[in-house]
Amino acid sequence: SIQLEMPPAPSAAAGSCALSLGSRFLFGCRVTAAHRFAASPVQPPSPLHQQPHLQPCRQGRRWLRPEFRGVYKPRLSPEAMKEFWRLSGIGPDHSRAKVADQQAEVPPEIKRLYQEALPPIVSQDYRDPIVESLHRAEMMRRRRVINIPEFHVGSILAVSVMDKHAPNKVNRFVGLCILRRHTGLFTTFTLRNMVDQVCVQIEYELYSPSIVSIQLLKLERRLDDNLLYLMDAPHSHCTIPFDMVPEPYSRNDPVPVNRERVRLNPPPWMCKWHLHGYQGIDLEHLYSYLSDKDVAKAIEFSKAYKRYDLLDQYLNRVPVPDADYAFKDIFIQHQELLQHQQQQQQSSKKSEVISKLTGTA
Amino acid sequence: ASAPALSSQLIVAMATAPHTWLRLVPSCRSYSKATRLYKIDYPWKDEPKPHWVRQFEARRVDADLTPENRDWLRQWRLQRVRDAVASSSEAAAAASPLKEPPAARPLWTPRVSQRCGLVGIKLGILPMWYRNGQKVHTTVVQIPDQRVLRWVPPEDLGNYASLREMRPYRLNQSFLPRWLTQQRWGLQLVGAVPADPANFTAQWCGIFKAAGLPPMRKISRFLVSPDAALQPGACLGLHHFRVGDCVDVVARTVNRGFQGVMERHLMEGGPAAHGSTKFHRKMGSAAGGGGPIYRGKRMPGVMGNRFRAARSLPVLRVNTKHRLLFIKGFTPGPPHSYCQIMDSWMLDVRRSLDANPPPMPTYFAEDAPEGGYPEDVYHPDLLPYDQPLELPD
Repeated sequence: SIQLEMPPAPSAAAGSCALSLGSRFLFGCRVTAAHRFAASPVQPPSPLHQQPHLQPCRQGRRWLRPEFRGVYKPRLSPEAMKEFWRLSGIGPDHSRAKVADQQAEVPPEIKRLYQEALPPIVSQDYRDPIVESLHRAEMMRRRRVINIPEFHVGSILAVSVMDKHAPNKVNRFVGLCILRRHTGLFTTFTLRNMVDQVCVQIEYELYSPSIVSIQLLKLERRLDDNLLYLMDAPHSHCTIPFDMVPEPYSRNDPVPVNRERVRLNPPPWMCKWHLHGYQGIDLEHLYSYLSDKDVAKAIEFSKAYKRYDLLDQYLNRVPVPDADYAFKDIFIQHQELLQHQQQQQQSSKKSEVISKLTGTA
Repeated sequence: ASAPALSSQLIVAMATAPHTWLRLVPSCRSYSKATRLYKIDYPWKDEPKPHWVRQFEARRVDADLTPENRDWLRQWRLQRVRDAVASSSEAAAAASPLKEPPAARPLWTPRVSQRCGLVGIKLGILPMWYRNGQKVHTTVVQIPDQRVLRWVPPEDLGNYASLREMRPYRLNQSFLPRWLTQQRWGLQLVGAVPADPANFTAQWCGIFKAAGLPPMRKISRFLVSPDAALQPGACLGLHHFRVGDCVDVVARTVNRGFQGVMERHLMEGGPAAHGSTKFHRKMGSAAGGGGPIYRGKRMPGVMGNRFRAARSLPVLRVNTKHRLLFIKGFTPGPPHSYCQIMDSWMLDVRRSLDANPPPMPTYFAEDAPEGGYPEDVYHPDLLPYDQPLELPD
């Protein structure tokens, strides 16, 4: 006859076990992992309130599932990751930041040009220094192929993308930048314009290789991070001629700020614009459309006490050391990019001269 | 005192004639699709194996040591670990004056060979583009230092300690898995991420001592055919997988905590308005009139934290500097979690591997191309960021 064997006792090698599996205590308690501490020289965490796997309950002690107890942790803690990288030598590369430390401070034009180089504002569990450095390196590699100008929300851009169905295989769109989202290689920006009396918004991925060129027509900044309220504004605010001539700008000058306040159309609106703290909307005109209750709510929202909310500031900002590190890394790669562009110009001049001398077209 | 072993005859008998040892009706497999093996509860169910060995040990605070000496001792221990890793690496084996002539490497046998896999650490996601302009998201997985710990041939699976737990099959009235009954594949234990031995108990370190390796954080099991078996101490490296190979990635999904029935099982819930009284996100009925609630009924509970496999994902890029694999698509688990990467079990991938066999049983230095590998090896369909896109007309 076939007999089933019981599994081996988990602490067979240990001495006497304080508790055994399957035994029932005074109040119907089931055994936890306490038997493992029997043979250990280190004392187990004894106070009852410190044992996360016991739940206070009328029926006695209940056994909590491993997910609640945090028994199985398949992740490496940040300290374990640092130790692993130090031991194996395949961790993030800090050489560029060290080189930047020896140089002067990072110039402010770097922070204007490479806004998307900042790490994302997410919890530390979802951030990794190697992946962020890969994003930065690939961003700079893409910038060797195409020139990405400095632009902000409120600037006017002309973007040409590859389109196999277009007559010249290139599709050009001019628009006002109303939104700039995400970081690293995921960065996208949205252009808005009127085409044949129809509002058109197109979202482009900044580092997509199907973008042939990005031309800055007007460098400008607005009072807000995004201009989504233009969807409920008169169309005159986002009508930009397709044959607009680019306006010259200087990199050394500060970015001009357009402080105009937009008057929205009467409601219904796509969104409750009065509850987002927009500075670019004419608030008196906006509140004239709202009831007293909504106005009070809007004023309550925009109260100055928000700047004392430390936790809000902490959670919605990039930590300063991480931002500094990212910009130092980008600064060195920016210098390498400038060298690469100089070399390319020299080599193109050389090839021009050679072609003239040899008489080739 | 260890329990007597289950012989392979017993396993076969249990597989072929389960009614002789199951008390209930043999045709009653499970009440519903909802019943799953992992619903069975026993205290050590979700714990990583070997659960009978305690891995971590609280650090002893030695009051006789000064902080400087404590740090010095820690650096000394880490250097010992580094030396142990370096001495067991491929480069050391190639340079050793005691090296033996290379043993005959097994050939890839179609429909038979199953290689060992790698343990990886998922880092994050990087977007890339194909040469036709299409976007693809790649998961960045880092391959840490790993060594083979043990080989358990198929005949000895019955003796293996962690496989002797029969309760889930008995309670669920289900059959033993085929990899246990057919005995085509053996178990390959692989240790990954060497670390400071002071983190671990002596029992955990003893597992690695038998193989002559430094203690590691993670032990993984792979089902491997006997012709691709690796002996203890063998080195598994980044180039075990080539660009273009399709892999299966098995990992524990993100733990979403205690979730309600709408999130967890995609139930409909109730109407938000129209007079609905306290019925917006509830389950509704639990069973038929008069009958009991059947085992496995979908209810609220902890969501995620389960082993899942993402199948047939091609490796699009390999970075040798940071030892990274760029795998197409998304893999389960949060960043900095372990994952198992192995040759895909999908049939079309197996057939393509028969035509283009991978390095068997694993990558050795002699498989390297002349001049070594560049820092980045791209799939031919992938467009590197420093190249312009050229679409055909």
